[in-house]
Amino acid sequence: MNDFPWLTIIVAFPISAGSLMLFLPHRGNKVNKWYTICICILELLLTTYAFCYNFKMDDPLIQLSEDYKWINFFDFYWRMGIDGLSIGTILLTGFITTLATLAAFPVTRDSRLFHFLMLSMYSGQIGLFSSRDLLLFFIMWELELIPVYLLLSMWGGKKRLYSATKFILYTAGSSIFLLIGVLGISLYGSNEPTLNLELLANQSYPVTLEILFYIGFLIAFAVKLPIIPLHTWLPDTHGEAHYSTCMLLAGILLKMGAYGLVRINMELLPHAHSMFSPWLMVVGTIQIIYAALTSLGQRNLKKRIAYSSVSHMGFIIIGISSITDPGLNGAILQIISHGFIGAALFFLAGTSYDRIRLVYLDEMGGMAISIPKIFTMFTILSMASLALPGMSGFIAELIVFFGIITSQKYFLISKIFIIFVMAIGMILTPIYLLSMLRQMFYGYKLINVKNFSFFDSGPRELFLSISILLPIIGIGIYPDFVLSLASDKVESILSNYFYG
Amino acid sequence: MEHTYQYSWIIPFIPLPVPILLGVGLLLFPTATKNLRRMWTFLSIFLLSIVMIFSLYLSIQQIFLSCIHQNVWSWTINNEFSFEFGYFIDPLTSIMLILITTVGILVLIYSDNYMSHDQGYLRFFAYMGFFNTSMLGLVTSSNLIQVYFFWELVGMCSYLLIGFWFTRPIAANACQKAFVTNRVGDFGLLLGILGLYWITGSFEFQDLFEIFNNLILNNRVNLLFLTLCAFLLFVGPIAKSAQFPLHVWLPDAMEGPTPISALIHAATMVAAGIFLVARLLPLFIVIPSIMYIISLIGIITVLLGATLALAQKDIKRGLAYSTMSQLGYMILALGMGSYRSALFHLITHAYSKALLFLGSGSIIHSMEAIVGYSPDKSQNMILMGGLTKHVPITKMAFLIGTLSLCGIPPLACFWSKDEILNDSLLFSPIFAIIACSTAGLTAFYMFRIYLLTFEGHLNTYFLNYSGKKSSSFYSLSLWGKEEEKKLNKNFGLVPLLTMNNTKRASFFCNKTYKISNNVRNQIFITVENFGLNTRTFYYPHESDNTILFPMLILVLFTLFIGAIGIPFNQEGIDFDILSKLFTPSINLLHKNSQNFVDWYEFLRNATFSVSIAFFGIFIAYCLYKPFYSSLLNLTLLNSFQKWNSKRIRWEKLINFVYNWSYNRGYIDAFFKTSLIESIRRLAKQTTFFDKQIIDGIINGVGITSFFVGEVIKYIGGSRISSYLFLYLSYVFIFLMILFFFYFEKF
Repeated sequence: MNDFPWLTIIVAFPISAGSLMLFLPHRGNKVNKWYTICICILELLLTTYAFCYNFKMDDPLIQLSEDYKWINFFDFYWRMGIDGLSIGTILLTGFITTLATLAAFPVTRDSRLFHFLMLSMYSGQIGLFSSRDLLLFFIMWELELIPVYLLLSMWGGKKRLYSATKFILYTAGSSIFLLIGVLGISLYGSNEPTLNLELLANQSYPVTLEILFYIGFLIAFAVKLPIIPLHTWLPDTHGEAHYSTCMLLAGILLKMGAYGLVRINMELLPHAHSMFSPWLMVVGTIQIIYAALTSLGQRNLKKRIAYSSVSHMGFIIIGISSITDPGLNGAILQIISHGFIGAALFFLAGTSYDRIRLVYLDEMGGMAISIPKIFTMFTILSMASLALPGMSGFIAELIVFFGIITSQKYFLISKIFIIFVMAIGMILTPIYLLSMLRQMFYGYKLINVKNFSFFDSGPRELFLSISILLPIIGIGIYPDFVLSLASDKVESILSNYFYG
Repeated sequence: MEHTYQYSWIIPFIPLPVPILLGVGLLLFPTATKNLRRMWTFLSIFLLSIVMIFSLYLSIQQIFLSCIHQNVWSWTINNEFSFEFGYFIDPLTSIMLILITTVGILVLIYSDNYMSHDQGYLRFFAYMGFFNTSMLGLVTSSNLIQVYFFWELVGMCSYLLIGFWFTRPIAANACQKAFVTNRVGDFGLLLGILGLYWITGSFEFQDLFEIFNNLILNNRVNLLFLTLCAFLLFVGPIAKSAQFPLHVWLPDAMEGPTPISALIHAATMVAAGIFLVARLLPLFIVIPSIMYIISLIGIITVLLGATLALAQKDIKRGLAYSTMSQLGYMILALGMGSYRSALFHLITHAYSKALLFLGSGSIIHSMEAIVGYSPDKSQNMILMGGLTKHVPITKMAFLIGTLSLCGIPPLACFWSKDEILNDSLLFSPIFAIIACSTAGLTAFYMFRIYLLTFEGHLNTYFLNYSGKKSSSFYSLSLWGKEEEKKLNKNFGLVPLLTMNNTKRASFFCNKTYKISNNVRNQIFITVENFGLNTRTFYYPHESDNTILFPMLILVLFTLFIGAIGIPFNQEGIDFDILSKLFTPSINLLHKNSQNFVDWYEFLRNATFSVSIAFFGIFIAYCLYKPFYSSLLNLTLLNSFQKWNSKRIRWEKLINFVYNWSYNRGYIDAFFKTSLIESIRRLAKQTTFFDKQIIDGIINGVGITSFFVGEVIKYIGGSRISSYLFLYLSYVFIFLMILFFFYFEKF
């Protein structure tokens, strides 16, 4: 219907424009900054335009699909395409990356490389969300790691090398399982390797094999998502990275795991998924409580927020494993919602760190007087994170709860138990978030900082936080914005479970 | 008329523009917004008045044509699930609407003056506007999800307003405590809602009740599970209305500004719990056990609140415990099934308590000028006394509020409390005894507050005079001589706190009061002499008209609001507005006597309850009659104490009650040691586990591989000798093994 290769352009544009940056006149950081911002905005506009005019909401099939043969030798195609599941995450990626580049304004060291890496990350993420080929998915998955590693190890905090190494080892280690899974699935059954996701979705495997594949993919995504006990890279990474990187990590990178879990584990391996889902649900429930408690025990501000995002990922796991329409919708909504909230919280933590230069919560205090605007935004976003109604987190969690209630798969007692434990997590969330707020802002304390000069957030920071806040409130008040994107796709995924 | 109902969805949205504009304005254009200052107040009062007129109109229609109006719009549309938003107007809603708007407007007018010196004047009005919006949304909501939605928003407003003066560490702790405690309630509420949805498949109130009743009648559902769900639903109101186990947040919530205590923590938000129970009463009423639990929790709270209020030194805290106790009465009434009297008490109590809180705010405002800007001092009743001379109008208003709360006949609370006491007599004699004795306690503690505040002489100066004489402590202590030590600490500070000039300056100078408030301890040492030398006595002065006006309106309400529940004899039929409103509603106890009021019985009960109240007042008068003027009455006091033959035991009892009340019934301490500590310990353990074990394994693997690599690097460093050594050692080991095997064979 439309042969224009929108997706290829969208994927290739940032990285190619980024490599052009090398040819820019070397006249300070300003040029790089503005160039990157313009590229990001252009890309976001392009994406929005393409999706506005070429994407049909009511069509659960793949749209904007492209299919080019890339490597003849083993039947490798450049296959792109989006559906209801990926459109939300792609738009989220565009939005958050643009804001993250805006947040990275204060970065001055090696800004050319920094911005190039941001742009290549942009490409990698969109490529991942829009790839329709298993091997392409894997390649994009790996492409993503390198910029993150470099961003971490060059612009991080004191322990940046340790955390960068940890990150790369964790994720590269998990990628092995992903690769095993990809190769296993593609080579099964026929002599010709099949990598097309559409074809693979209709394939069925022997039970043992399917379970093995499932475990392989699960490990890869569990590291990324993260699922306990594979989460320890996350607090270290988030604690050390520059806050613009943190925004990307919390906002998008974690969602890649959730996306993969839905895209591959749910869609391709339905039998194994229905077998594994009770366990996943238990793990998700434990994760909510466990991460909330751990977060409460953290002294480091960024680590506390990092654990809070681990805790929120538990809702995604539960939503995915409930195998119901509301549950899956809630998980997708939570992906989007936490993308905004997590990014915003990390941004605010970073900006307040820029001012106070203190990492530990118990050393802070009484900052509300000097930086009232950051205080306001921090309060609002903490409320969003603890699922206050009217914000996006609430509706996502409510729908997940709903998904468990309506699930036919589980017994009443187990449902009651799981809901009960999840709801305990609902009590723990305000405890750690509000005590964080209290320790940072409330009270009165003369802070012994050498250059005691606090500026309240300037127009750039204010613009940034408000522009993240608006979609949070928008989704919270009218969740159909996001729900309508994915609902048809969700139904078509779930139909495998009821008829298959 | 249908038109009015059609547009009633707009009710919650009318006050909404103010907080939105204020929030955006304060963030983006702070100076311009602050320059408009009082315009915002006028705007919010104006918008709230529109809602009030609207809701008055609605409720007048409800009186004449009692019917339920409901309209819903879908919020999310999906094949599997859909949430709806809408409005639901019935008598209950219209009454709550009037209550919220009237008290809201008065409090807004009041706080214009009360907060005028505060830095956060506009922030305050933004929060208030948002609170009004969400409260109106709560009472007009048509399904449980919507209730939950606004329920949490209201809780958040309460959080923000308690922590309004965020520089105070106590306020910071209090607001967090309030939010978390309320979240525990929300936890129950959400679980209850989900459970009910699982049972009935609906969130709409009317569908819910219908399906629920059918299920119960046909006995098609597990009663235990039903009771569990209903109880979980009830946990929400327990937290919101500060009922027994989750009441701990309410007294601490008094750290917020006083207008907030009047509006949120006395009249409206805490009544949201009562509202929800009343709304869901058709559901609770079919499960007798849950009704029993409700009334039990109500009666426990009644007694607990009253006993805890007995020895509070802080005037607002005392009032807070009394609020808790009165809310207990309402829950008790609901648990007994007397819907009408609970709501009647809700209305009368809201006005009386709002009056009392506004009065106490006026007192605090006057006292702040003298003792300084610190809640420990300006709200401390020990430092008050003899304010009658200085603040006569406030005194009059406060007295009327006090009398009303004690249940003295022509005033509002008498009518409603009397009804509840009557109903409790019908329900269960034990409950009736507790409820009646608590009525006496109520009279006692309310009059204690009144006497300590307004009678006698201003203790601040008195304490200054007698700062070195220990003999006069006795007459001042709240509970007789055994409190000497506890109060001593306070007295030591008192002379220092009357540094009028510095304090006054710091109060009126907005920028600095926070600093002076917090660095107070350091200032003491340096400024002490200065303060003592230049002391001139200031006396508290009456507050401005803007503060007095809302109080006077509330006095009128307190005087006459009882009338809506008094039966008028009209054309042979007993007729009162409240019954007219609630005729179609359920009334368990009065099924047959709906239109028949036995005047004799009424008179008998009224005499009984009034005499209890007078007994309480009398005791309070004996104990707290100020020292100077009570010399004449001392003989009476003595005789009263002689009459108590075992005086030591009596003192022990007093001591016990005092300690109980002073330590807040040890419940806070219990929660602190059991819950908070255990959560902290758990958090510490999890963090330890996470860091040492899960992360430790990863790091261990990393370090081990590093070492292995190093060793291999060392060994593989292309040295022939090490190769030979390794080779020979392996050969040797192999030979050894062979050797041993060889030997074992033999």
